[in-house]
Amino acid sequence: MANSNLPRRIIKETQRLLSEPTPGISASPSEDNMRYFNVMILGPTQTPYEGGVFKLELFLPEEYPMAAPKVRFLTKIYHPNIDKLGRICLDILKDKWSPALKISTVLLSIQALLSAPNPDDPLSENIAKHWKSNEAEAVETAKEWTRLYASGA
Amino acid sequence: MDSGDDIHDANDIESLNEDIESLNDNYDNYDDDAAAADYFDDDDDDDTHPAKSRRIEQSFTILKESDIRQRQEDDIRRVAAVPSIPHGAASILLCHYNWSVSRVNDAWFADEHEVRRTVGLLEKPVYDNPADAKELTCGICFEAYPLSEIETASCGHPFCFSCWGGYIGTSINDGPGCLLLRCPESACGAAVDQDMINLLASGEDKDKYDRYLLRSYIEDNKKTKWCPAPGCEHAVNFDPTGTGKDYDVSCLCSYSFCWNCTEESHRSVDCGTVSKWILKNSSESENVTWILAKTKPCPECKRPIEKNHGCMHMTCSQPCRFEFCWICLGAWRKHGGSCNRYESGEQNETEKRREMAKKSLEKYTHYYKRWASNQSSRQKAVADLQEMQSVHMKNLGDSQRQTELELKFITEAWLQIVECRRVLKWTYAYGYYLPDNEQAKKKFFEYLQGEAESGLERLHHCAEKVIQVFLSDDPPSPSEEFNDFRKKLTELTNVTRNYFENLVKALENVHDGNPCDLDKRPWGAGAMMNEMKE
Ligand SMILES: [Zn+2]
Ligand SMILES: [Zn+2]
Ligand SMILES: [Zn+2]
Ligand SMILES: [Zn+2]
Ligand SMILES: [Zn+2]
Ligand SMILES: [Zn+2]
Repeated sequence: MANSNLPRRIIKETQRLLSEPTPGISASPSEDNMRYFNVMILGPTQTPYEGGVFKLELFLPEEYPMAAPKVRFLTKIYHPNIDKLGRICLDILKDKWSPALKISTVLLSIQALLSAPNPDDPLSENIAKHWKSNEAEAVETAKEWTRLYASGA
Repeated sequence: MDSGDDIHDANDIESLNEDIESLNDNYDNYDDDAAAADYFDDDDDDDTHPAKSRRIEQSFTILKESDIRQRQEDDIRRVAAVPSIPHGAASILLCHYNWSVSRVNDAWFADEHEVRRTVGLLEKPVYDNPADAKELTCGICFEAYPLSEIETASCGHPFCFSCWGGYIGTSINDGPGCLLLRCPESACGAAVDQDMINLLASGEDKDKYDRYLLRSYIEDNKKTKWCPAPGCEHAVNFDPTGTGKDYDVSCLCSYSFCWNCTEESHRSVDCGTVSKWILKNSSESENVTWILAKTKPCPECKRPIEKNHGCMHMTCSQPCRFEFCWICLGAWRKHGGSCNRYESGEQNETEKRREMAKKSLEKYTHYYKRWASNQSSRQKAVADLQEMQSVHMKNLGDSQRQTELELKFITEAWLQIVECRRVLKWTYAYGYYLPDNEQAKKKFFEYLQGEAESGLERLHHCAEKVIQVFLSDDPPSPSEEFNDFRKKLTELTNVTRNYFENLVKALENVHDGNPCDLDKRPWGAGAMMNEMKE
């Protein structure tokens, strides 16, 4: 259906994603809609997310690559730049999007965001406040959430 | 009919007129064609550009689209006079610096390197394509293309024509931000100039970009604004170093407005009062509907009377013939032509018991009615003047054997009416906000306003009604009568102009900051009252 006139660029990107996967990241298109990807990102080591397996969904809108992909965490995660609906505050998904960016660069950036939370540009006010006032405690909560919700079910 | 009264009035005014004239000698920068420039684009005397004839010293220029393009191109050329700045780059620089040539020059010569970096004008490519390559891969569609089908900005990042087209089109459809478009490569800041847009975008997108560029020249430039009249495409260039704080601007489309707040012209009343008043009107809009009713019952015989004339002097039809004031419904003779004073004590006992809220609405209603009546009266006058010029002038010329020049006094009278209605209208917004406790100031203001208003009512009446006898199907043959009419209308025009100049001057001096100075002016309350008594 939606796959009939898939741009060559998307086909190429998909092939590349499958043949040269990035360590800690997997993305595979849904069978009935090649614009919809099931994504898994492993929590980076030495972060409160270590050991967690985080599920995301990624959708390429009609205007892609002129418009950014839509990405959302499906797994609950305690992170100052990700809200409880799984929405991600990341500049390249908004005003810094460039059509020369790819799905793989987007996912790499999200992985990097897990390693480097930025409470100064928060999406979730409460978590950001927690992070700034008592980072050790916030990190503990993040670890707890990773154990509870991202333990690779 | 009631012309006897009017002649009497005119004689009264005439003697006053001379007194006022002597007060006025200091400031006669208000030339006869002033009002004409406000409302009509008079093509017949071409040496006086309408926007130019208004004041001796002109602080604004009206720009048509061709003028705007010319000025924009001139500015771009002035920036591109620097050898290292090509035309396309000059346009982008100006976009970044609000179309100020001097700001571009200052920034460029202070730190060219920094300007290049922030604006995205790279000196040499940052991305080196292999020198011997026959094909390059487009960074968006990832397809390989022969060099002839690849285009790059100053950075060197290669994209195919079709991807460039899509990228540029997306940006243009996102709005005026496209004027600061950068290379599609992530984090590459290289600017995409209009030459590239013209090479790579669709015809429709090119046109849109062109419009945005034109709009930017007006909207991002502190010295220019679009004319706010609906459908008007002219812009105004205002030179703030001109004639001080006179913000009145009149466009070629005939609309005149305040440069500072872009509301309709309101000379004599400051922008703050105008915006408060407009806000007030919109919050009171429901109460206002009934105030504006087109018909009212005659206060004497209760038959409905429709107001279809511009002046407030109403005369009921036969056999009643009661003459009354449209605004207060009082007998016309009782207030002798002006109806401007709001008396907070005029309510009777029952009314006094009404709550404060009701009172404030009454006060508002008093001022709003007069503001709105003058507004519609002005519109009617504009239409009447047009009819006068297009239909009646020729007939009058024939029946009274008058040349066009000899009939000019009629046009002048109407222009004066149109201008005065506007001024009078805004004085009611001013009056509404005059604090109740400043009685002396209020009294003086109301005195001047009342004088001006009654002069205007007589003038309007004369121009609208007394003239009718000469416009009838069977006009009197050329006669003394018409000469009397000319004399009377001319006198009324002059005297009304003087009254309004006094009113405007007094108000302008008040909001120049020192209301206490009011009494020290040669036409201050005391002096004026004495002159009037003579
Ligand atoms: Zn391409
Ligand atoms: Zn580039
Ligand atoms: Zn205009
Ligand atoms: Zn204003
Ligand atoms: Zn009546
Ligand atoms: Zn009245």
